[in-house]
Amino acid sequence: MTTQIQTTTAETPPTGAPPAATSQPAQTVREITYQPNVDIRDRGSEVVFDADIPGAQAEGIDVTFEEGVLAVQVSVPARDLPGRPIRQEYGIGNYRRSFRLGEGFDASQITADYRRGVLTIRVPRLAAVRPRKVEVRAG
Amino acid sequence: MTTFRAGFALPLEELRDEMDRLWSSLTAAPPLHGWGVRGDAAAFPAVNVRESDQAITVEAELPGLDTGDVDITVSGEELVLKGKRPAPDQGVEPQISEDGGTVTWHRRERGFGGFERRIPLPTLVDAAGVTARLADGVLTVTCPKAAEAQPRRVEVRSA
Repeated sequence: MTTQIQTTTAETPPTGAPPAATSQPAQTVREITYQPNVDIRDRGSEVVFDADIPGAQAEGIDVTFEEGVLAVQVSVPARDLPGRPIRQEYGIGNYRRSFRLGEGFDASQITADYRRGVLTIRVPRLAAVRPRKVEVRAG
Repeated sequence: MTTFRAGFALPLEELRDEMDRLWSSLTAAPPLHGWGVRGDAAAFPAVNVRESDQAITVEAELPGLDTGDVDITVSGEELVLKGKRPAPDQGVEPQISEDGGTVTWHRRERGFGGFERRIPLPTLVDAAGVTARLADGVLTVTCPKAAEAQPRRVEVRSA
Protein backbone atom coordinates (compact mmCIF):
# COMPACT_ATOMS: atom_id res chain seq x y z
CA MET A 1 0.00 0.00 0.00
CA THR A 2 1.33 3.41 -0.93
CA THR A 3 0.41 6.39 1.13
CA GLN A 4 0.83 9.77 -0.46
CA ILE A 5 1.51 12.45 2.10
CA GLN A 6 0.45 16.01 1.44
CA THR A 7 3.24 18.46 2.23
CA THR A 8 2.08 21.63 3.85
CA THR A 9 3.85 24.91 4.39
CA ALA A 10 3.48 27.50 7.07
CA GLU A 11 1.40 29.51 4.66
CA THR A 12 -1.06 26.82 3.61
CA PRO A 13 -3.12 24.90 6.16
CA PRO A 14 -2.84 21.10 5.88
CA THR A 15 -6.39 20.59 4.73
CA GLY A 16 -6.94 23.90 2.97
CA ALA A 17 -7.15 24.63 -0.69
CA PRO A 18 -3.89 24.43 -2.63
CA PRO A 19 -2.05 27.74 -2.94
CA ALA A 20 -2.74 29.86 -5.97
CA ALA A 21 -1.00 28.35 -8.96
CA THR A 22 1.37 31.26 -9.37
CA SER A 23 4.36 29.55 -7.82
CA GLN A 24 4.42 26.51 -10.09
CA PRO A 25 8.08 25.54 -10.63
CA ALA A 26 8.67 26.44 -14.24
CA GLN A 27 11.81 24.48 -14.81
CA THR A 28 13.25 21.64 -12.81
CA VAL A 29 16.93 20.95 -12.32
CA ARG A 30 17.55 17.41 -13.48
CA GLU A 31 21.27 16.93 -13.74
CA ILE A 32 22.15 16.16 -10.14
CA THR A 33 20.32 14.50 -7.30
CA TYR A 34 21.54 15.08 -3.77
CA GLN A 35 20.95 13.14 -0.63
CA PRO A 36 19.80 15.63 1.97
CA ASN A 37 21.17 15.65 5.49
CA VAL A 38 18.65 14.52 8.07
CA ASP A 39 18.06 14.43 11.78
CA ILE A 40 15.98 11.48 12.95
CA ARG A 41 14.58 11.32 16.44
CA ASP A 42 12.40 8.68 17.96
CA ARG A 43 9.93 10.15 20.43
CA GLY A 44 8.28 6.88 21.32
CA SER A 45 4.88 7.74 19.94
CA GLU A 46 6.38 8.85 16.63
CA VAL A 47 9.58 9.06 14.62
CA VAL A 48 10.40 12.57 13.39
CA PHE A 49 12.56 13.32 10.34
CA ASP A 50 14.04 16.75 9.63
CA ALA A 51 15.68 17.12 6.23
CA ASP A 52 17.53 20.15 4.84
CA ILE A 53 16.17 20.72 1.34
CA PRO A 54 16.75 24.41 0.66
CA GLY A 55 15.31 25.86 -2.50
CA ALA A 56 12.40 23.45 -2.76
CA GLN A 57 8.72 24.29 -2.84
CA ALA A 58 5.97 22.28 -1.16
CA GLU A 59 4.39 21.27 -4.45
CA GLY A 60 7.66 19.76 -5.63
CA ILE A 61 8.02 17.51 -2.60
CA ASP A 62 6.92 13.92 -2.89
CA VAL A 63 6.70 11.89 0.33
CA THR A 64 5.54 8.28 0.20
CA PHE A 65 5.32 5.43 2.67
CA GLU A 66 5.22 2.02 1.07
CA GLU A 67 5.90 -1.36 2.62
CA GLY A 68 7.67 0.15 5.56
CA VAL A 69 9.90 2.46 3.48
CA LEU A 70 9.59 6.21 3.82
CA ALA A 71 10.75 7.86 0.59
CA VAL A 72 11.31 11.53 -0.07
CA GLN A 73 11.75 12.85 -3.58
CA VAL A 74 12.09 16.56 -4.25
CA SER A 75 12.10 18.43 -7.56
CA VAL A 76 13.90 21.72 -7.11
CA PRO A 77 12.97 24.56 -9.45
CA ALA A 78 15.82 26.27 -11.26
CA ARG A 79 16.94 29.53 -9.77
CA ASP A 80 17.30 32.33 -12.24
CA LEU A 81 19.84 34.90 -11.16
CA PRO A 82 21.31 37.65 -13.31
CA GLY A 83 24.88 37.75 -14.52
CA ARG A 84 27.62 35.17 -14.94
CA PRO A 85 28.95 32.92 -12.18
CA ILE A 86 32.23 34.07 -10.66
CA ARG A 87 32.26 31.71 -7.68
CA GLN A 88 30.50 28.36 -7.53
CA GLU A 89 30.76 26.48 -4.25
CA TYR A 90 27.68 24.31 -4.40
CA GLY A 91 25.43 22.78 -6.98
CA ILE A 92 21.68 23.00 -7.22
CA GLY A 93 19.77 19.83 -7.86
CA ASN A 94 16.95 17.60 -6.77
CA TYR A 95 16.89 15.62 -3.54
CA ARG A 96 16.13 12.00 -2.87
CA ARG A 97 16.46 9.75 0.12
CA SER A 98 14.61 6.84 1.65
CA PHE A 99 14.49 5.11 5.02
CA ARG A 100 13.35 1.66 6.01
CA LEU A 101 11.11 1.92 9.03
CA GLY A 102 9.48 -1.49 9.11
CA GLU A 103 6.14 -2.31 10.66
CA GLY A 104 4.09 -0.72 13.38
CA PHE A 105 3.53 2.73 11.89
CA ASP A 106 0.26 4.42 11.07
CA ALA A 107 0.68 5.43 7.43
CA SER A 108 -2.60 7.32 7.36
CA GLN A 109 -1.40 9.73 10.05
CA ILE A 110 1.98 10.69 8.57
CA THR A 111 2.39 14.44 8.17
CA ALA A 112 4.93 16.43 6.17
CA ASP A 113 5.61 20.11 6.72
CA TYR A 114 7.98 22.31 4.73
CA ARG A 115 9.21 25.51 6.30
CA ARG A 116 12.33 27.63 5.77
CA GLY A 117 13.97 25.00 3.61
CA VAL A 118 13.48 22.21 6.14
CA LEU A 119 11.12 19.28 5.58
CA THR A 120 9.71 17.77 8.78
CA ILE A 121 8.02 14.38 8.52
CA ARG A 122 6.22 12.85 11.49
CA VAL A 123 5.54 9.13 11.35
CA PRO A 124 3.33 8.06 14.26
CA ARG A 125 3.45 4.56 15.67
CA LEU A 126 0.28 2.54 15.80
CA ALA A 127 -1.24 2.87 19.24
CA ALA A 128 -0.87 -0.87 19.82
CA VAL A 129 2.92 -0.79 19.52
CA ARG A 130 3.68 2.46 21.31
CA PRO A 131 5.88 2.12 24.36
CA ARG A 132 3.76 2.19 27.44
CA LYS A 133 4.78 2.71 31.01
CA VAL A 134 3.16 0.14 33.27
CA GLU A 135 2.44 1.10 36.81
CA VAL A 136 3.39 -1.50 39.38
CA ARG A 137 0.68 -2.02 41.89
CA ALA A 138 1.55 -2.86 45.45
CA GLY A 139 -0.39 -5.23 47.64
CA MET B 1 32.06 12.14 -10.89
CA THR B 2 31.50 12.80 -7.26
CA THR B 3 29.69 16.04 -6.73
CA PHE B 4 30.60 17.76 -3.53
CA ARG B 5 28.09 19.81 -1.67
CA ALA B 6 29.52 21.33 1.45
CA GLY B 7 27.59 20.65 4.55
CA PHE B 8 24.24 19.75 3.17
CA ALA B 9 24.00 16.70 1.05
CA LEU B 10 25.72 13.65 -0.33
CA PRO B 11 25.65 12.56 -3.94
CA LEU B 12 23.18 9.92 -4.94
CA GLU B 13 25.87 7.32 -5.59
CA GLU B 14 26.14 6.89 -1.86
CA LEU B 15 22.45 6.21 -1.48
CA ARG B 16 22.69 2.44 -1.83
CA ASP B 17 25.42 2.14 0.76
CA GLU B 18 23.46 4.46 2.95
CA MET B 19 20.36 2.29 2.72
CA ASP B 20 22.33 -0.79 3.67
CA ARG B 21 23.97 0.85 6.62
CA LEU B 22 20.99 2.73 7.81
CA TRP B 23 18.93 0.93 10.32
CA SER B 24 21.71 -1.22 11.75
CA SER B 25 23.85 1.81 12.45
CA LEU B 26 21.18 3.94 14.02
CA THR B 27 21.99 3.27 17.61
CA ALA B 28 25.69 3.86 17.06
CA ALA B 29 25.38 7.21 15.27
CA PRO B 30 27.41 9.74 17.24
CA PRO B 31 26.18 13.29 17.63
CA LEU B 32 27.64 15.60 15.04
CA HIS B 33 28.75 19.12 15.65
CA GLY B 34 29.40 21.84 13.14
CA TRP B 35 27.51 22.02 9.92
CA GLY B 36 26.71 18.61 8.53
CA VAL B 37 28.84 15.56 8.04
CA ARG B 38 31.29 17.29 5.76
CA GLY B 39 31.08 20.67 7.33
CA ASP B 40 34.72 20.75 8.31
CA ALA B 41 35.88 20.49 4.73
CA ALA B 42 34.73 23.92 3.64
CA ALA B 43 33.74 27.31 4.92
CA PHE B 44 30.12 27.67 5.87
CA PRO B 45 27.87 28.67 4.33
CA ALA B 46 28.93 27.72 0.83
CA VAL B 47 28.13 30.53 -1.57
CA ASN B 48 27.50 30.98 -5.25
CA VAL B 49 28.39 34.42 -6.55
CA ARG B 50 27.27 35.94 -9.83
CA GLU B 51 28.23 39.21 -11.46
CA SER B 52 26.26 41.31 -13.87
CA ASP B 53 26.97 44.81 -15.14
CA GLN B 54 24.80 46.27 -12.41
CA ALA B 55 25.20 44.00 -9.40
CA ILE B 56 26.97 41.21 -7.55
CA THR B 57 24.54 38.51 -6.39
CA VAL B 58 25.56 36.23 -3.53
CA GLU B 59 23.47 33.16 -2.84
CA ALA B 60 23.81 30.87 0.18
CA GLU B 61 21.79 27.92 1.45
CA LEU B 62 20.71 28.43 5.06
CA PRO B 63 17.91 25.96 5.75
CA GLY B 64 16.09 26.39 9.03
CA LEU B 65 17.09 30.01 9.51
CA ASP B 66 14.67 32.88 9.79
CA THR B 67 15.39 36.40 8.56
CA GLY B 68 16.25 37.47 12.10
CA ASP B 69 18.87 34.72 12.41
CA VAL B 70 21.15 36.17 9.73
CA ASP B 71 23.23 39.29 10.05
CA ILE B 72 24.50 40.75 6.78
CA THR B 73 27.04 43.54 6.58
CA VAL B 74 28.80 45.07 3.61
CA SER B 75 31.92 47.11 3.84
CA GLY B 76 33.88 48.19 0.83
CA GLU B 77 34.60 45.07 -1.18
CA GLU B 78 33.59 42.51 1.43
CA LEU B 79 30.29 40.90 2.35
CA VAL B 80 30.01 39.34 5.81
CA LEU B 81 27.35 36.74 6.66
CA LYS B 82 26.90 35.99 10.33
CA GLY B 83 24.33 33.87 12.04
CA LYS B 84 23.43 30.94 14.18
CA ARG B 85 21.34 27.86 13.75
CA PRO B 86 20.08 26.54 17.08
CA ALA B 87 20.74 22.94 18.03
CA PRO B 88 17.74 20.86 16.97
CA ASP B 89 16.98 19.78 20.51
CA GLN B 90 16.91 23.27 21.95
CA GLY B 91 13.70 25.07 22.54
CA VAL B 92 11.42 23.38 20.09
CA GLU B 93 10.57 20.17 21.85
CA PRO B 94 11.21 18.69 25.25
CA GLN B 95 13.60 15.79 25.44
CA ILE B 96 11.00 13.72 27.27
CA SER B 97 8.29 12.46 24.96
CA GLU B 98 4.67 12.49 26.03
CA ASP B 99 4.68 8.84 26.96
CA GLY B 100 7.38 9.46 29.51
CA GLY B 101 10.28 7.99 27.57
CA THR B 102 13.33 9.90 26.45
CA VAL B 103 13.90 10.93 22.87
CA THR B 104 16.34 8.72 20.99
CA TRP B 105 18.37 10.33 18.22
CA HIS B 106 19.00 7.98 15.32
CA ARG B 107 20.70 10.52 13.06
CA ARG B 108 22.15 13.95 13.57
CA GLU B 109 23.54 15.03 10.23
CA ARG B 110 22.20 18.56 10.15
CA GLY B 111 24.74 20.87 11.66
CA PHE B 112 24.10 23.65 14.08
CA GLY B 113 25.91 26.46 15.80
CA GLY B 114 27.22 29.85 14.82
CA PHE B 115 28.95 30.85 11.61
CA GLU B 116 30.71 33.80 10.10
CA ARG B 117 31.73 33.97 6.48
CA ARG B 118 33.60 36.79 4.77
CA ILE B 119 33.10 36.89 1.05
CA PRO B 120 35.35 39.13 -1.02
CA LEU B 121 33.48 41.01 -3.71
CA PRO B 122 35.14 41.70 -7.06
CA THR B 123 34.20 45.38 -7.11
CA LEU B 124 33.13 48.18 -4.85
CA VAL B 125 29.41 48.02 -4.13
CA ASP B 126 26.81 50.53 -3.08
CA ALA B 127 26.38 49.45 0.55
CA ALA B 128 23.22 51.49 0.97
CA GLY B 129 21.55 49.71 -1.92
CA VAL B 130 22.20 46.14 -0.80
CA THR B 131 19.08 44.01 -0.50
CA ALA B 132 18.67 40.50 0.90
CA ARG B 133 15.95 37.90 0.65
CA LEU B 134 15.63 34.63 2.56
CA ALA B 135 13.12 32.23 1.06
CA ASP B 136 12.80 28.46 1.50
CA GLY B 137 16.20 28.36 3.17
CA VAL B 138 17.99 30.18 0.36
CA LEU B 139 19.56 33.55 1.05
CA THR B 140 20.04 35.88 -1.91
CA VAL B 141 21.99 39.10 -1.36
CA THR B 142 21.99 41.60 -4.20
CA CYS B 143 24.77 44.18 -4.03
CA PRO B 144 24.46 46.95 -6.63
CA LYS B 145 27.85 47.95 -7.96
CA ALA B 146 29.15 51.35 -6.99
CA ALA B 147 28.69 53.88 -9.75
CA GLU B 148 32.40 53.96 -10.47
CA ALA B 149 32.49 50.18 -10.82
CA GLN B 150 29.69 49.98 -13.35
CA PRO B 151 30.60 49.85 -16.99
CA ARG B 152 30.13 53.23 -18.56
CA ARG B 153 29.42 53.92 -22.11
CA VAL B 154 31.41 56.80 -23.46
CA GLU B 155 29.92 58.75 -26.27
CA VAL B 156 32.36 59.68 -28.95
CA ARG B 157 31.78 63.23 -29.98
CA SER B 158 32.34 64.16 -33.52
CA ALA B 159 34.46 67.19 -34.05
